Amino acid sequence: MICSFCFRTFDEELARKQCSHCNPLIECGRVKCPYCGYESPKEPKSLKWLNKIRMKKK
Amino acid sequence: MPVKTTSANPDRGEPSGKSRYKSDASVPRVLLVGSPNVGKSMLFNKLTGRYVTVSNYPGTTIELSRGLSQISDRKYEIIDTPGMYSLSAITDEEKVASDLLLNERADAVVHVVDAKNIERMLVLTLQLIEAGLPVILVLNMADEAEQLGIEIDVAELERILGVYVVKTTATTGEGIKTLIDRIPQVRAGRFEQIDYGSAIENSISVIAKQLGEQGHVSRRTRALLLLQGSCDYAGCAAGDGGSPGADLITNAIRDCSSQIEHSVHYHITFAIQEKVKQIVRQAVSFPGAHVRDFRERLSRLCMHPVGGLPILFAVMYFGVYKFVGGIGAGTVVDFLEGTIFETHINPLVVRVFSTIIPWQTAQDLFIGEYGVVTFGIRYAIALVLPIVGTFFMAFSILEDSGYLPRLAMLIDGVFKKIGLSGRAVVPIVLGFGCDTMATMVTRTLETRREKIIASVLLALAIPCSAQLGVILGLVAGHPFALVAWAGFVGSVFVLAGTLMARLLPGAKPSFYMELPPLRLPRPGNVVVKTYSRMVWYFKEILPLFILASVLIWIGQITGVFQLLVAALVPVVNAIGLPDKAADAFLFGFFRRDYGAVGLYDLQNDGLMTPNQLAVAAITLTLFLPCIAQFLIFKKECGFKIAVTTSLCICLIALATGFLANSLFNLLGIAL
Repeated sequence: MICSFCFRTFDEELARKQCSHCNPLIECGRVKCPYCGYESPKEPKSLKWLNKIRMKKK
Repeated sequence: MPVKTTSANPDRGEPSGKSRYKSDASVPRVLLVGSPNVGKSMLFNKLTGRYVTVSNYPGTTIELSRGLSQISDRKYEIIDTPGMYSLSAITDEEKVASDLLLNERADAVVHVVDAKNIERMLVLTLQLIEAGLPVILVLNMADEAEQLGIEIDVAELERILGVYVVKTTATTGEGIKTLIDRIPQVRAGRFEQIDYGSAIENSISVIAKQLGEQGHVSRRTRALLLLQGSCDYAGCAAGDGGSPGADLITNAIRDCSSQIEHSVHYHITFAIQEKVKQIVRQAVSFPGAHVRDFRERLSRLCMHPVGGLPILFAVMYFGVYKFVGGIGAGTVVDFLEGTIFETHINPLVVRVFSTIIPWQTAQDLFIGEYGVVTFGIRYAIALVLPIVGTFFMAFSILEDSGYLPRLAMLIDGVFKKIGLSGRAVVPIVLGFGCDTMATMVTRTLETRREKIIASVLLALAIPCSAQLGVILGLVAGHPFALVAWAGFVGSVFVLAGTLMARLLPGAKPSFYMELPPLRLPRPGNVVVKTYSRMVWYFKEILPLFILASVLIWIGQITGVFQLLVAALVPVVNAIGLPDKAADAFLFGFFRRDYGAVGLYDLQNDGLMTPNQLAVAAITLTLFLPCIAQFLIFKKECGFKIAVTTSLCICLIALATGFLANSLFNLLGIAL
């Protein structure tokens, strides 16, 4: 994933593990850049699904 | 350490092979390092072929690929390290890569960079050379750089850096042969030492003298890492943390920090960046120099204390006021609210519920003044969603253009006067999306003082996206009311910040960031970002709107709602607002946007003059943060600070509203 603020690339899963969640029981739906702390929304499932279809067609 | 073998197609950049080997101390070791997505793994597969193992780095879940390569009749162990931007590690992946470089044997360090973005990548090259490591600089994706017309003078780069430089295209294998030839001949770079200024240089000398020999990394680099806090004593000094040397080092670090204006990291990063710019000017030529010059000039203008302001105002006027206020809160809301809900959905829902539910009280839960459908769902879909959607679109365009980091640099000077640094732009900008989350992001700020100032300012004077959108929609038809609102809220922001900066003790913050390129926003990125935010927001807001409708319904049945509203009526009257505005203020504590939407209905019913509109918008913007933000504030800054701040905010909001109303009346201003 590329951070929208500092444009650095980071691993979404690892970033989520590193983030100290405000509430460990609730997925906040955002991903925090480990470099600058900027938060971007997680890619919705519908978009992931569309991307999968697009990749299959290719 | 779990080990697994992998098999796949090396031509696709995947590790392949069924064989396994054990790491052997007599086998020379090559580390592949570099930022993510520069083609390291592809290069690794080209170098290693079949003999690959993938294992977790000890104590982590980070995977490392190790393989063997036959070079000049000798076996070499090749290690593909996780992506890293700098030796001062931040992420877990960077920590692993940095640990490998600092503590493990490396007979060659191949730094792979994306030739297209060489300017952003040479920082690490300089750090590696400064560390005394045997570096080979690989300019990968050379074909793409050439297609873009970027010309890199390899001989000149080799002369400046004193290391081998090889152009490769890992996908086609071009340049790999040259790289293989260079690996056995690798040598440490002979680069002119970077001068970090007398205070830092003196501290480096003191610290370096205390450091023992450790690995292949120079004492200077280990001293630099210690000074920046990127490495602990045990990690960098190979000694006992309680030895006299440790005390001397601690003193040197403290002395250095007290002698320089900004943080050590700031000075070091700035010096390296300047060196990189100088090298790029000497060895790289870019196509369409006039386009690059224009971008460079525009980038500088965006950050200029005087020149940057007109750009900022243009962005705010066209991006936020015209687009969000005019199109989002005007055209789209009119259509959804007036045409879809008022004409079609509401009458239908009222008919259906009146037929199937005979009891008035139960009907009110769904179709009453604050019913789940006629209030909760209608507000969320017809009012908040279009406003927030257009706001998110404008915000995504700004994000994708690379303007936000420049905005951070622009307002760094102003922020310093209120005890913050440009780094605080991240939570402040995020606050315009959601203040609650932004309060949590204040954790990234350097000092506790900065954290408290930013959290208070977020709670006091930064409206969240929905509230901002609705307020802009409200005052869009009255430009003077908008100016009055911006003037009062801006003044409170600056005054409160200045006051806190003077009252709260603590070190002054510093800020420097590597700037990403300024570019035209990509439509695909803007659509994905806007859609992702809208989905997230809608998921969060709809249940809350419905819950609030239910709570109000319960409050109305029990009489608590009327009681609270009645208590607020004298307060809103005191600042010149009609009785009905008390509802909006009460809703505002559930969610800030809820309160703003309450004002929207008052305006639609013609119950407020533009002056009252401005006073209500000012007071509500400065009013108490919503419940969620209060809870996070308490978590971040403590219960006492949260309660005291909330009380102060309440008083400041009402006092400012009172002042605005009195000023308008005294001076006979009609907005």
